[in-house]
This record gives sequence, C-alpha cells and structure tokens, in this order.
Amino acid sequence: MGLLQNVIFGLVTGSYIAVAAIGFTLVYGIVNMINFAYGEYLTVGAFVGLLTAGTLPVPLPVAVLVAMVGGGVASLVLARLFFTPINHTGPVPMLLTSIGLGIALRNLIRLVAGRNARYFDTETATFRLTGVPDVSVGPFDLLGDFFVTSEHLVVVGCAVGVFLALHGLLTRTDVGIAMRAMGDDEDLARVRGVDTQRIRDSVWVLAGVLAGLAGVLVAIQTNVSAGTGYSHILQILAAAILGGAGSPYGAIAGSYIIGLVLSLSTAFLPGGMAELSSAMAFLILVVVLLVKPSGLAAREVREA
Amino acid sequence: MASDNGKTTRRAVLKGVGAGGLVGMAGCLGVEGGGEGGTEGSGEGTGTTGGSTSGGGSPDSIVFGQPAAQTGQWDFLQPGVSQATDAALQNINDAGGPLDTEVELVRRDTGVNPQEARTVVTQLVENDGASAILGLFSSEINPLWDFLQEQRTPVVTPWPGSTFLDTRGGDKGTPENLDDDEWVWRTVVGDTVHTAGNAKRTLDEGYETIGVINGNTEGERSYVEGFLAPYEAEGGSVAQRVEVGLGESSYQSALERLFGADFDAFLVSLPQESAITMLSDWADGGYGGQPVLSDTLGTQAVIDQVGDALNGAWAASPGQSGPNYDTFEQAFQSAGDAEVNAWSPPAWDAMHVVALAIERAGEATPEAIERNLGPVSGGEGTAVSTFAEGKEALANGEEVNFEGAATPTNFTRHGNVFGSVTISVAKNGEFTEAEVIPAEDVRGFVEEGEY
Amino acid sequence: MSVADRLPLGDAAGNGALLLGAVCVLLAAVFALTPLVVSLPGSLYVFFEVAILFAVYGVLVLGLDLQYGHTGLVNFGHVAFFAVGAYAVAMLSARDSFAGVSLGLPWPVALAGGVVVAALLGAAVGATSVRLRDDFLAVATLATAEIVHSLFVSFEGVFGGNVGIGSVPQPVSDLAGDADTAMLATLLLFGGVTLFTLAAVTRLTEAPYGRVLRAIRADELVTRSVGKSVLTYKMQSFVYGAALAGLAGGLFALYTGAVAPGYFTIQVTVTVWIGMLLGGAANHRGVLAGLAVIMGLRLLSRFALGVMPLSADAFASVRLVVVGLILVAVIRYRPAGLWGDAEELGVDT
Repeated sequence: MGLLQNVIFGLVTGSYIAVAAIGFTLVYGIVNMINFAYGEYLTVGAFVGLLTAGTLPVPLPVAVLVAMVGGGVASLVLARLFFTPINHTGPVPMLLTSIGLGIALRNLIRLVAGRNARYFDTETATFRLTGVPDVSVGPFDLLGDFFVTSEHLVVVGCAVGVFLALHGLLTRTDVGIAMRAMGDDEDLARVRGVDTQRIRDSVWVLAGVLAGLAGVLVAIQTNVSAGTGYSHILQILAAAILGGAGSPYGAIAGSYIIGLVLSLSTAFLPGGMAELSSAMAFLILVVVLLVKPSGLAAREVREA
Repeated sequence: MASDNGKTTRRAVLKGVGAGGLVGMAGCLGVEGGGEGGTEGSGEGTGTTGGSTSGGGSPDSIVFGQPAAQTGQWDFLQPGVSQATDAALQNINDAGGPLDTEVELVRRDTGVNPQEARTVVTQLVENDGASAILGLFSSEINPLWDFLQEQRTPVVTPWPGSTFLDTRGGDKGTPENLDDDEWVWRTVVGDTVHTAGNAKRTLDEGYETIGVINGNTEGERSYVEGFLAPYEAEGGSVAQRVEVGLGESSYQSALERLFGADFDAFLVSLPQESAITMLSDWADGGYGGQPVLSDTLGTQAVIDQVGDALNGAWAASPGQSGPNYDTFEQAFQSAGDAEVNAWSPPAWDAMHVVALAIERAGEATPEAIERNLGPVSGGEGTAVSTFAEGKEALANGEEVNFEGAATPTNFTRHGNVFGSVTISVAKNGEFTEAEVIPAEDVRGFVEEGEY
Repeated sequence: MSVADRLPLGDAAGNGALLLGAVCVLLAAVFALTPLVVSLPGSLYVFFEVAILFAVYGVLVLGLDLQYGHTGLVNFGHVAFFAVGAYAVAMLSARDSFAGVSLGLPWPVALAGGVVVAALLGAAVGATSVRLRDDFLAVATLATAEIVHSLFVSFEGVFGGNVGIGSVPQPVSDLAGDADTAMLATLLLFGGVTLFTLAAVTRLTEAPYGRVLRAIRADELVTRSVGKSVLTYKMQSFVYGAALAGLAGGLFALYTGAVAPGYFTIQVTVTVWIGMLLGGAANHRGVLAGLAVIMGLRLLSRFALGVMPLSADAFASVRLVVVGLILVAVIRYRPAGLWGDAEELGVDT
C-alpha cells in the first residue's frame, strides 16, 4: 500500500472539512457558541446549488457562487432569528438552541425536499503518475504510483483559495482586523469603537458562505439529501476544537489532521478495525483535549 | 387517503378506549385461579380492541398497522415501500376488501429505532386496533423479539434479510396450533438464500478469490455472511475484507486497502447512497476488477451515477422475479412516482397475503390471521395473483395459493420465502437480465428445516 | 409558584419520596410475587410502556442534574454511561444470546456489575475531562459517547454488533403471573427505584455537601479560595451521575430482555437534556416533571396523526420540527425552565 496515495486522500478529505471548520470556528470565536446546526447550513448550501444547477442554464461554478450567497443569507437570517436575541446567555444555552434548531431544520428540509437523494451531474478525469519508485519501510511503501482526480484538485484548490482569501480578509481589511480584535477581547474591541453587532453579523455571513461552499463540495462527492451536512458535523466540530476553537488557522491544521487520521487509519489499522476510523478521529480529539487542552492554537479551555 | 386514515384512527381510538375501559372496570383485579383465567381475560380485551368483534358478518373496520422509516437513516427507502403498500391497499379495497370491509392502513414513524418501534407497535396494536403489522426492520425485530412474541399479533414484514430470522418466526408448519407460533413472517427472501445464488454465479464465472467491502450495519453484514458461507464451502476464498461506515464523504482509503490484496472480483454490500459514492471513487481510481453487487444495488440510479465503468458488473436480486411481478408493477406505477426498490414487491405481497388470510378466516382477529397465513400462501389451492381473484376463489369454496410479486410467497415453517434469483448485468447504461437461477436450485443451497 | 413544590412529597430531605418509593416497591412485590393478577385496558398499554421508560430515564435525568444542575458539569455523552451499564448487565446475565458474549450470571450480580462498570467509565472520563471548560467538556463527553457507540457496533463477537445482546433475563416478567401484571409490577418497581433515587439525591444536595456543589457551579474561584478541593467534588458528582446512569441502563436491560446500539443513540442524551432544562436544572422534582412533559409531548403528538390534515409522511417530519422548536422556545423564553430558580442558575430571564 502506498503511503503517498493515502496521504493524498487524507488531504482531500481534510480540505472538505477545513472549508466548513473555518466557518464553524469563526462563529465559535466571535459569537462564543458551538453551533450544532452548522451541518444543516451545509445542507442548505447543497440544495441551493443543486436547485440552481438544475433549473438555470448556468455552469457549475456559478451555481456554487449562488450556493455560497444562499448559505450566507440563510446563516444571517437564522442568526438574527435564533441566536442574536440570546447572545448574552452564554455558551450552553446557545449550544442547546442550536441543537433544537438543527433538529427542526433537518426535518423541515426533509419535509420540503423529500427523502430521495439527488445528485450533481459532474464528470471526473483521473491523472495518473506511474513509475514513482517504491521506498519500502517494512510492509509499507512511502511513495509508489498514485493518482489524483479532477475532483480532488477542485476540492483542494477551493480550500487553498479559501485559505488565501481568509488570510487576506483577516489581515488586510478593517472588518477582518476587527474580527480578530473581537476574538481576542470583545470588551476591549468595543472600547476601541468596534461595532460588535456588525462584526457578529459579518461572521455569520462568512460562516454561511463557507458552509455553502463546503456543502456543494461534499454533495458533489456524495449526494444531496436532508442528512448531507448532519453526517459531517461531528468531523467538523472535532477539527475545529482540535485546532483550538476560535482560531481559523488552527481549524485548518485540525482539519488536515482529522482527514489524515481518517484516511490512514482506514488504510493501515489491523483487519477488522478499519471501520473504527471515525472513532479514531474522536479519540485523537479527546487525547488532544487532555494533553493540550487549548487545542493546537493556544487558548486556555481548562478551568481548574 | 390521509383524511380517511384520520377518521378511522380516531374511531378506533375512541372505541378502543371505551372497550378497554369496560374491560378494565370489569376485571381489573383478579386472583389467578385456573391458571389461564387472567390471560384469557386480557386476550379477549385485545380482540375487542382489534375492532373486529367476532359474531359473524362484516366487522365495521379492519386496520393494518405499518411501522415505517419516515425519518432517520433509512428514510430514503420508505417511499418505494409506502407506495407499494398503498397500491396494494387500493387494489384490495377496489375488490371490495376482505369480508366486504374496507381496510384502513395506519402508518407511523419509527425512525428505525427499536425504542420508538416498541411504542409504535404498542400504539398500532392497542390503540389503532391493527390486526396485523406490516413493517419492521431487522434492527428493530431482533432486540424486540420477546416483546413481539407477547403481542400475539402477526408481523408480516417486507424488510429484514437478517439470518436471525432464518430459524425464527412462522407457524412451524402447524397453522391451527398457535402455541408454537413465532408471529413474525417475512415476504422478502432472507440473505442466506439469495446470496447463495450470487455466490454460485461468482464461482461459475471463475472468480475463486474475492475481496469484500461492506457497511457496518446489520443488513450489510448479514448479506456478506450469507454470501461467504456457500462461497467458501464451494472452494472460494476471501483475500481481503474491509468494513466501512455509511455516508462517508470518501471511500478511497478503504478501496486502497481493499485493492492492496490480490483478487479478481469484489463484493459490494452497501446501501445505495454510500455504494454510489464508493463505486464512483472506485471508477475514478481505475482499480478495475469485477464488481459483484448486493441485491439492492441493481438500480438505474447506481448506473446513472457511476457510469460506464460499471459495465459487466452484476447484481443478484431475489425480489423482482415473482410469478406476478407485472401485475404489481402496473399497479405500482399508477399509484405515484416513487421508485421501485428491492422491498417494494415484498410490501405488495405482505398486504395481499394478510388480506387473503382474513378472507379465508372469516374474521379479522390477529389469531385468525396468524392461523391462515400459511394456508393462503402455499399448498394445493387455486393459484391467485390478486386479492380479487383470491376473494372469488374463496367464495367458491376453493383453497387459494397466493403467488406474489417478489416470490411465489410460499411460507416455510419459519415464515420465510424462497424465490428465484435474477442476475442482472450492467451494460450500456442499464441493467439487463442475464440469468435466472430458479427457486428450486436456490432452495438446494439451504438445508431443509434450517430456513 | 411552582407546581412541583405543591406535590405531596415536598419535605426537606426527601423522606416523602423515600416513603412513596417504598410503597411502590412493596406493591410491585405484591403483584410480582403473589398469584394476584390485574388486567389493564389494552388502549393504555402504550402509556404504561412510556411510563416505564420514563421511570428509567428519570434515574438518568436525576444523575445528569447532579452533574449539570448542581455542579455545572456539561455532560453531553450521558447515553454512554447508560449504554455501558445496560451492556454490562446484558452480557453478564444473558444466556446463549444470538450474538456477542453471554455469561449467564444471576441478574442481581449483573446489575451490581453494570453499576460498577458505568461508575468506572465515569471515573475514567471524569479524571481526564472534568477540568475542561463547559463547552469543551460537552464536546469531550459527546466524543466519548460516539466512541462507545461505534465500539458496540463494530465488535460483533463481543457486543453482538447491530443485533446486540439478547436472551437477557427479565426477572419481573418471570415472576409475575401474566403480561399485564408484569407491566404494572415493572412500572411500580421502577417508579420506586426512581423515587429512591430522588430521595437519595435530595439528601445529598440538601446536605452541606450539596451546598459546596452549588457553590462550585456559582463561582469556582470563591469555592476554591475557602479551601474546598473543587476537583474532588466535581469528580464525585460526575461519578455519582455515571453510576446512576449505569443503574438505569441495568434496569432497562432487565426490562427489555435485549440491548442493541439502536437503543442508545444521541437521541437519549437529547431527551434527558431537554427534560432537565424544561423542568429547571437543579430542582430534582422539576427535572422529573420536565422529563414527563417532553416524553408526554412526544407520545401525545403521535396521537395527533389522526387529527392533523397531513399525510403520515409529512407528519413524521413536522412532529420532529415541532420538538426542535419547543427546545428553542424554552431556552429563549424560560431559560431557567418551568420550575427552575433563575437566580440560582444565574441566568437572565
């Protein structure tokens, strides 16, 4: 088995998760809540994308943009309706509200869209690299022949694009700098004249846009149904927490760790345990919380 | 249909409460005298609640209960079964209904959760007055086994393939004697049997070493075990087996692991959605090899999504080769726009066999249905394909033998059915029937009395 | 102002609950052990079923309330301890299960074993996680529950996979004369156990010990500054809660006669959490009442199928949408719950 090939798979999986995990973790950092309904934001994005691609004569990239806008709008509306009014109550009530909202949204989508899975119509090309030498260590090959598909490249490309855009946003724009300031110390930011509500709204929109993109990416690889996003929420959450909640750069690192763990443990765990790969991801999360409770990026989460 | 449901449900509830209340007041406390006294009392209470008072003539209503997967992990399978059930209901009621009474169907959501299923079955039996249950998955039946036995209401279900039911359920070949009955019947062919057909084909095609990739749910595991038992017994061997979770965004690492071993063909047992993701990954990765698909994957959606790479892959389906599949298909198509899946024809069969059991019994109590499921499904009687034919034959004093859509619906002593297995091969964008392994041959794969 | 306060068992140390519990257990024994039989109206079976489940979940919610309501520990993996208790009891006591391990020990031994195993898991998770901040503890416990769930599904040889463990002894059914009597006896017995639990946690929290727990919840720093080992108290509270969940799991296994992963989904955690918040955390009788409300709503909403102008398909989804929105509404408009003390919980109303 080629290690390199599995690393590629892990990086692709990590890229899906990363796009979503950034949105998740930004909300965590600025609004100070774990949003359990975030998986449904992905689902909404996937449906908007599918509907656009299916009804309008536009190419897929345009449909993706529409899905991102749709995700952003949905996120802002939901935040205004459900989260902003209880902003002051603290993390636990907000977490529980998001659980309730998630149940409601998921079933509402099922009610409206029905139960059948739908598919994006895409073509995939495969690029193969042969003649790569095996570098054997015991039973494993470190290199070996490998392939990538156009889908892989699109996903990783989107993720890298998001990372660059995000970095630019956070370091070069007023809104981004204000976001970082608020993430560090909200009171201080308010004293310095930051309109905290406006920043919160921008974060909600940004999170929704990213969820829309992630939703379509996941949907192209799998399908669109009421459970599309929900089935990935735990991985997104694990990646965000692993990276140190609130830190977008940490979330990126956390996502790739989760992606690699999923892929490598599926490939290399002893027989009969391969399906435990998702449990492995959680095990890593628990271990990281114990060893370095602040996550990969430093922020204290331990109280005593 | 919904409002019809509503009316009867309400009526049945009211009546149930009324009747129950009386029984409750009359005999709430008693001392166990003759041993049977207490049981007898409660048994009668159930009968009355069943909305089918004995005493000749037509009962005012007959209710069937259908626990359904309207939410949860398997919700995408329900539309095909609901539509088949509704089509059968229409068909039965158009022919006048059993005992000239209209059948009402109450469908309630279990989310395929055993806890919910327990509540739903209780509610269907005791409050809605259902005299038969026409649903339940393996993962609900197995943990609820003892509970279902206590209900003493026949469960005729199109869902479960689990080997757990191979030697459980049915009337044990003694229709009149209820003491040995195990109350659960399935109109879908058990995994042990049709997987054997698939295994035979795999060996016949010369594939003696295979890889296996399957989901970690009961249906998927049970399918693989059913396949491997005859396959290995006949000299085949497994090079690598990989279990995966359902609904993952990518199965590429699992495939990489699978194809690290050396084999010619590989068996896929996953629910359709996950299988499509997995097979697309497989096609993109260009792994090659002969795909052998589990019964549920022989659908157009799989070919449409995976594409030409699937050419030559075959699926062995047990459920669509009953003698009267065409009758079913016609009724199904005119009942709505859901897609036929592997459990649709069995759902049609389940409705018919229960309705015929009532017609033959002359009453609609759970016990009467249980006693008559065996007789109307097999034996020497006139072969019938619809309820109307059966009703007519029974009126003429003949015995009937219902021949279904999925299988000939001849229940074994354990309440299982056999059917021929159809091998369909993917070619140029559709599955075409390549071979039919007759029911008699399939029957040879399993020992007498073990199924 | 609260309804719970006016219940006829409102005394300081839970003596009323203890007495009522004893009466229930005694009555249960009368029905189970003597030839006396009852017959219940069939239309009420479904209510009895749910009432028995309520008694089991009642023990769960009391344990959870000890952790969250009194000590402030956000345990979002409560179902894991419930499941571990149930599986331990099932595997220790089952005879010839279709799948998985079955050791055939007497059920009282198994029940004790189940409580111990759940408490040990509680100790292990607690030792490593209770020092985490609220929401991170939630994530750590949630992850634990997911790991436990996937272990049960994956290791077929030990845990029976999706089929689970069957052929678990059902002591009450075996003793009672018939099904109706068994149902009533089970309800009385489990109700008694729930009341005993209520009495026990009431005593615990009325004692000075309970004041320390609430002080930790209100302000940890202050509590530490007066010389209390916050961590020890937190640990104890967490383990008590886990042991209670194990007890509930054991009772559940001995009632259903089988355990399977499908019984132990995140749904259970969500139900007890909603019940606790609805009733008002830190109020023992309140959380039981809250649980009764949510379970009652779920059950009664099933009967609404007949009167709603919806197809059965749509109804199934609508029902869950409503359940989700109720949770949202309660947190928004009654953050302290229906019977909770807003001031003590430190929430704004």
